[in-house]
Amino acid sequence: MRFFTASVLGLLMPSLAAASNLSTATQLVLPLDFKPPQVFKNTNLVRNTNLEKSYVRETINVVVENVDKQPQSDYYIPFPSDVFNRVGGFEVRDKKATDAGRFEVDATEIVSSSGNQFFVVHFPEPLAPKSQITLGISYSVLNSLAPRPSVIQQNDKQYLTYSFSAYVPSAYQTVTQKTKLKFPGTNVADYTETSDLKTGADPERKGTTYTYGPYETAKVAPGTEYPITVRYEFTNPVITAHLLERDVEVSHWGGNLATEERYWLRNNGSELANHFSRVEWTFSNYQKAPSSAVREITYPLQPGSVDPYFTDDIGNVSTSRYRPGNGKTGANLELKPRYPIFGGWNYSFKVGWNNDLGRFLRQIKGSDSYALKVPFLQGPKMSEGIQYERVVVRLVLPEGAHNVRYELVEGANSNGLPSANQIQATLSSFKTYMDTLGRTTLTLEVDSLTDEARDAQLVVIYDHTLTDALRKPLTIFAGLVTTFFAIWVIGNIDVSIKKR
Amino acid sequence: MAESSIDVLLKGSSGRTTRGLLRIIILLTIAAAAVASRLFSVIRFESIIHEFDPWFNFRATKYLVENGFYSFWDWFDDRTWHPLGRVTGGTLYPGLMVTSGVIYHILRFLTIPVDIRNICVLLAPAFSGLTALAMYLLTCEMSSSPSAGLLAAAFMGITPGYISRSVAGSYDNEAIAIFLLVFTFFLWIKAVKNGSIMWGALTALFYGYMVSAWGGYVFITNLIPLHVFVLICMGRYSTRVYISYTTWYALGTLGSMQIPFVGFLPIRNSDHMSALGVFGLIQLVAFAEFIRGYLPGKQFQKLLTSMVLLVFGLGFGGLVLLSISGVIAPWSGRFYSLWDTGYAKIHIPIIASVSEHQPTAWPAFFFDLNFLIWLFPAGVFICFQKLKDEHVFVIIYAVLSSYFAGVMVRLMLTLTPIVCVAAALALSAILDNFLVLSKPDPEAVAKASAEDSKSFRSSRSPIVGIYSYFSKTVVTCSMSLYLLMFVAHCTWVTSNAYSSPSVVLASKMPDGSQFIIDDYREAYYWLRQNTPDNAKIMSWWDYGYQIGGMADRPTLVDNNTWNNTHIATVGKAMSSREEVSYPILRQHDVDYVLVVFGGLLGYSGDDLNKFLWMVRIAEGIWPDEISERDYFTARGEYRVDEEATPTMKNSLMYKMSYYNYNSLFPAGQAVDRVRGVKLPAESPQLNTLEEAFTSENWIIRIYKVKDLDNLGRDHSNAVAFDKGLKRKRATKKKGPRVLRTE
Repeated sequence: MRFFTASVLGLLMPSLAAASNLSTATQLVLPLDFKPPQVFKNTNLVRNTNLEKSYVRETINVVVENVDKQPQSDYYIPFPSDVFNRVGGFEVRDKKATDAGRFEVDATEIVSSSGNQFFVVHFPEPLAPKSQITLGISYSVLNSLAPRPSVIQQNDKQYLTYSFSAYVPSAYQTVTQKTKLKFPGTNVADYTETSDLKTGADPERKGTTYTYGPYETAKVAPGTEYPITVRYEFTNPVITAHLLERDVEVSHWGGNLATEERYWLRNNGSELANHFSRVEWTFSNYQKAPSSAVREITYPLQPGSVDPYFTDDIGNVSTSRYRPGNGKTGANLELKPRYPIFGGWNYSFKVGWNNDLGRFLRQIKGSDSYALKVPFLQGPKMSEGIQYERVVVRLVLPEGAHNVRYELVEGANSNGLPSANQIQATLSSFKTYMDTLGRTTLTLEVDSLTDEARDAQLVVIYDHTLTDALRKPLTIFAGLVTTFFAIWVIGNIDVSIKKR
Repeated sequence: MAESSIDVLLKGSSGRTTRGLLRIIILLTIAAAAVASRLFSVIRFESIIHEFDPWFNFRATKYLVENGFYSFWDWFDDRTWHPLGRVTGGTLYPGLMVTSGVIYHILRFLTIPVDIRNICVLLAPAFSGLTALAMYLLTCEMSSSPSAGLLAAAFMGITPGYISRSVAGSYDNEAIAIFLLVFTFFLWIKAVKNGSIMWGALTALFYGYMVSAWGGYVFITNLIPLHVFVLICMGRYSTRVYISYTTWYALGTLGSMQIPFVGFLPIRNSDHMSALGVFGLIQLVAFAEFIRGYLPGKQFQKLLTSMVLLVFGLGFGGLVLLSISGVIAPWSGRFYSLWDTGYAKIHIPIIASVSEHQPTAWPAFFFDLNFLIWLFPAGVFICFQKLKDEHVFVIIYAVLSSYFAGVMVRLMLTLTPIVCVAAALALSAILDNFLVLSKPDPEAVAKASAEDSKSFRSSRSPIVGIYSYFSKTVVTCSMSLYLLMFVAHCTWVTSNAYSSPSVVLASKMPDGSQFIIDDYREAYYWLRQNTPDNAKIMSWWDYGYQIGGMADRPTLVDNNTWNNTHIATVGKAMSSREEVSYPILRQHDVDYVLVVFGGLLGYSGDDLNKFLWMVRIAEGIWPDEISERDYFTARGEYRVDEEATPTMKNSLMYKMSYYNYNSLFPAGQAVDRVRGVKLPAESPQLNTLEEAFTSENWIIRIYKVKDLDNLGRDHSNAVAFDKGLKRKRATKKKGPRVLRTE
C-alpha cells in the first residue's frame, strides 16, 4: 500500500477515466465448422508442467512464426471444452518484453465440429510475414489431478495421476516440442514410457524433473494426441474451494475497511477406505506424520489487521490463533478446522477482520474522487496450494458513491488472474445500517482461480461528495424528529370518554 | 403510580420532578445491571445458544424468519421423530419465536443487519431488564414506601433464581414468560384496585401473550381465580372484583384458545376448571348481591342456602360426569407429580429422568435467593398487617409457589418474583424506619401529648419510633452489608453456576489460560458437512434438539418427548444386544448412532451415566425383554469394568462407548475417568456398526450402521470371517518353528 502514491495514480488515471469498464464475461461465437487459419507455425515449443501444487500449472514458451503472406495478429489456442472451463488465470505475454503487459485474449464458444474452445490471442501489432514472436503462455488447470487409488487407509500415502498428451495441443503445426514435468518429490510410482516418439529414453529423468521430448513433430498434424499418464506421491490435501465469497466493506465515517471471506472447502484427495479412526489420528498427529488431511490453515493477513474472527455455521471455531505481528511484519491467522478434512470431506467457514482505512484509501487532490487499493484475493497460504472454482468479490462502497471504475494492477509477472473480459463485473446497491439509497456495490466474479492470484491488487476509483457523506446523519436526525413529533401529537389527542 | 407516594415526602413541584427523574435513572440502571450480569457467557465464550431446548427454539425461530408466519403455523417437521414426524406448528408455544421474529423484522425494516442468532441470544437479558421494570410497577402497587419498588426491581434484576433461566443464550420460553407473568400480575392488581374494564382487558391481553409463550401460564390461570375465591370467602366481594375477573376470564380464555397447542384445553382440561368454577361462582355471588337488595333478610338466607346447595350439587355432579365421560380431560401426569413427588418415578420415568423435575434441595433456596429467603416471611407478615385485596394476592401467591418450588427445581422460577416483592416490602419497611434521621419536634411531641391527655385513651396516637442514632446506624449498616453481600453472591453464582453454555466446555490449561473443549460442535459440524442431508441419526433424546439445530440432520427422538414408546424404542436399541438392536436400527432407517462418552475426559454427563434411565424407560414398554436388574451385578452394583454383568457388556451402549478405547492406553491399562475404574483389556467387538467419527476428546462417538452383508451372511459371521483370515496369518507367524526341508 505504501507504493500507492500519486504518481502511480497519475499513471492509472487516464486509462481508468477513459471508460467505465464494467464488463460482462463474454465469449465469441464461432462458426460451427471453424478451423483456425493455418497462418502460423510453432518453430519451437517448450511446455513446463508444474505438479508441485494441488492443481496443474503450465507455462508454454513458444516461438511463433507467421507463414502467411499477410501480417497476422490472431493466434488461436485450443482446449477441449471440458478442460476449457477449468483453465484459470490464462495469460499470454511477449516473452521478450514481459513488462509490456499481457496481450488481449478473448474466449470463444464451443466449436461443435472439433469439440474445442479457443483462446484468441490478439497481438498488439500484427506479426509481419516471416517474422517471429516468442509467446509466454501461462495458465493453471483445476481439478485435473485424480487420486489413485481413490480410497486409501488413513495413514497411507496418497498418489495423484495426471494425464496429458505428449504432443502439446496446438492449432498450428509445431516443429519441435518438449514437455518438462516438475513433480513435488522423487516418489513417482508410474509413468508412461514412450517407445516410438524419439530415440533414447523418454522421458529423461533428472531429480524431480521428467522431460518428455524433444520431439520432431513437423509432420504430425495439429491436434494429434499421444496420451501420457504419470502417477506420483502427493501426501498433501487437494484443497478445493467450490466457492469463495469475499466482501470488502468501506466505511468513510468509521475509517474502517472490513473484510469477510466465506469459504466452501472440499478436499479432493483420496477418500478414506475405512472410516475415520481417532486413535490413529492421535498417534499420527503426535508424530507429525504427513497426511492427506487438512490439519491447519495458515492465513496471512496484512499488517495492522485487527479483530479477526473464524466462525462457521454453528458459531465460533475455538481452535484458532491469531498472531498479530509487530505492525510491520504481516499478521498471521492460524486456523484449525473443527476436524481434520480428509479426502471427500467438506468444510465451510467464514473469516473476517478489520483494517484501518487510511492505508487503503486516498482522496484524489482537489476532487471528490477517491482511490481505493485492496487485494483482490487474500486467502490461505498453503504449500500445497488451493484452487478456487469460483470467486465472488464484493466491494461495498459508501452510500452514494458513483462513477465507479476498477482496474486490476498488472506487474511484470502474471498476477494469476484472467484478462478483464473474463471477469464479470456488476454494480448494484446494498442496503444496510439505515441506508436510504443503499451502498454502491461492485461485484467481480471469476471462475477457476488458484492461489497464484493471492495479493493481486484491485484499484477502484469512485466519486463521493460531502452531500453523500451527510445523507445518513441528516436522515437519522429527520427520522428522530418525526418520531418525537408523532409521539407528541399522539400524546395530545384526548380519547377519553369523560365530558370535555 | 409511584408519584403519589413521593407527594407525601416532598413539597414543591421541582423537587418532585427531580426525584421522578432520579427514579427513572435508577430504574434504567437496574435494567442495565440486569442485562449486564447476564452477559458472562457471551464475554467468556461467544454469542451461542445454550443447552438443549433453546436449540429447538432457535431452529424454530429460523424457520419462522425464513418461511413466514403461516408456514410456521402449519409446520410439519419431518426431520424429527423419524419416521413419525412432528406437527411442530401445533405443538409448541409460539410466543418466544414470534417475539424474536417481530424484533428481527423491525430491525430489518430499519435496515439494521442483526443476525437472528444474536437476537435469540440476547432476548432473555433484554426481557429480564423489562422484568425488573414490571417488578417495580407491581411492588409499587403493594406499598406506599418509596423504596419498595426500586428494591424489588433491583432484587429481580440480579437474583440468581431468575438469572438461572435468563442468561444470554438461554433462549427458552421462560426468557419472556417471567416478564409476562409479573406484568400480568401487575395489570391484574391494577384491575382489582380500580375495577376497570380497561385494566382487566389489558390483563387478558398479556395473559394471552403469556399463554402463547409458556406452559406455566396455568399458574396464572389458577392463581387469579384463587385470589378472587379467597376474596369472596373473606367477604370482600365487590363490583371491582366482579368487573375485573369477568373481563379477564372472558377475554383471556378466548385469547388463550387461539393458540393451537392450547386449543380447547381451557374448557376441557381439569387444570383450567378452577377458573371456570370461580367464573360461575362470581356470577352467583353477584346475583345474590343483587337479590339481597330486594329481599328481606330471612327469605334471602333461605334462598341463599338452598341455592348454594343446589349449585354445588349440580356443579360437582356435572364435573364428575364429564370427567368420567371423558369430555374433561383428566389431570396431566406432570400435574400429579406436583402433589406426589414419587408419582413420576413410578409411572412416568421420562419425566423423572429430567434433572429439573427433581424436588428442590434445601440449600438451593439460599443459593438462588440468598438473604431474600429470610426476608420473605417478614414481607408476607407485613402483608398480613395491611391485608388489602392486593396483599391477599401476595399471600396466596407466596404460599402456593413456596410449595411448588419445593416440589420441582424448575419452579423456583415462579417463586422468585414473589420473594422479591415480599423481601422488598420487608426491607423497605426497615429502611423507611431506620434511615430517617429527623427526630420529632419536641414542641410537637409536647403538644401531641397535651392533646392526647385530653382525649380518650383509645384515640390517642402517641408519637413512637426509633430515634437513637446508634440503633439506626447498626441496623442500617448491617442491612447495607447484607445488600452488598447479596450483590456479591449473585454475581458469583451467575458467573460460576449459570453461565456455561454446556455446548462448549471450558477447562483451564496448566498456565491458567482458558482451554475450550468443543467436542459437541466438532462432531455435529462433521455430521452437517460430511453426511447425506437426510441421514438419520439415532441418539438418546437429550441430544435430539442439538442435532437438529447444529447438525441439521433428522433424528429419531428429541427433547420434545411427546412419544414415550418411540423413546423407549431407542432405549431398547441402546440397551439390548446387537442382534436385537440391529433390526430396530434397520426398521427405523438409522444411518448413524451417536453416543456421548466422557470416560477419557472425566465428563460425567455422559450416556453411560444416563444409561439406567434408558433401561428403565425401555423396561416400561418391554418389561419381559429388558430388566433393570440385569444391569446390576449380583451385589447390586452398577459396574462397567471386568465385573460388569454380561447383559451390560453386551449392550449396544456399553460397546459403543468403549469400542477401541483401550488402544489409546498401554495394554491392559485403559481407565474410565468418570467412573474411576480400570476397563477390561479387550475392546468390545462391534459387528453391525462401524466407528465413523470420534471427536477430539472422545466425548462424541458416531457409529455408522452397516448395510446388509453383500453375501447374505449375518454380520457376526462376516466379521468373524474377516477376522479369521487375519488370525490364521497371525498364528502362522507365531506357530512352532518348523525345519525347512527344501
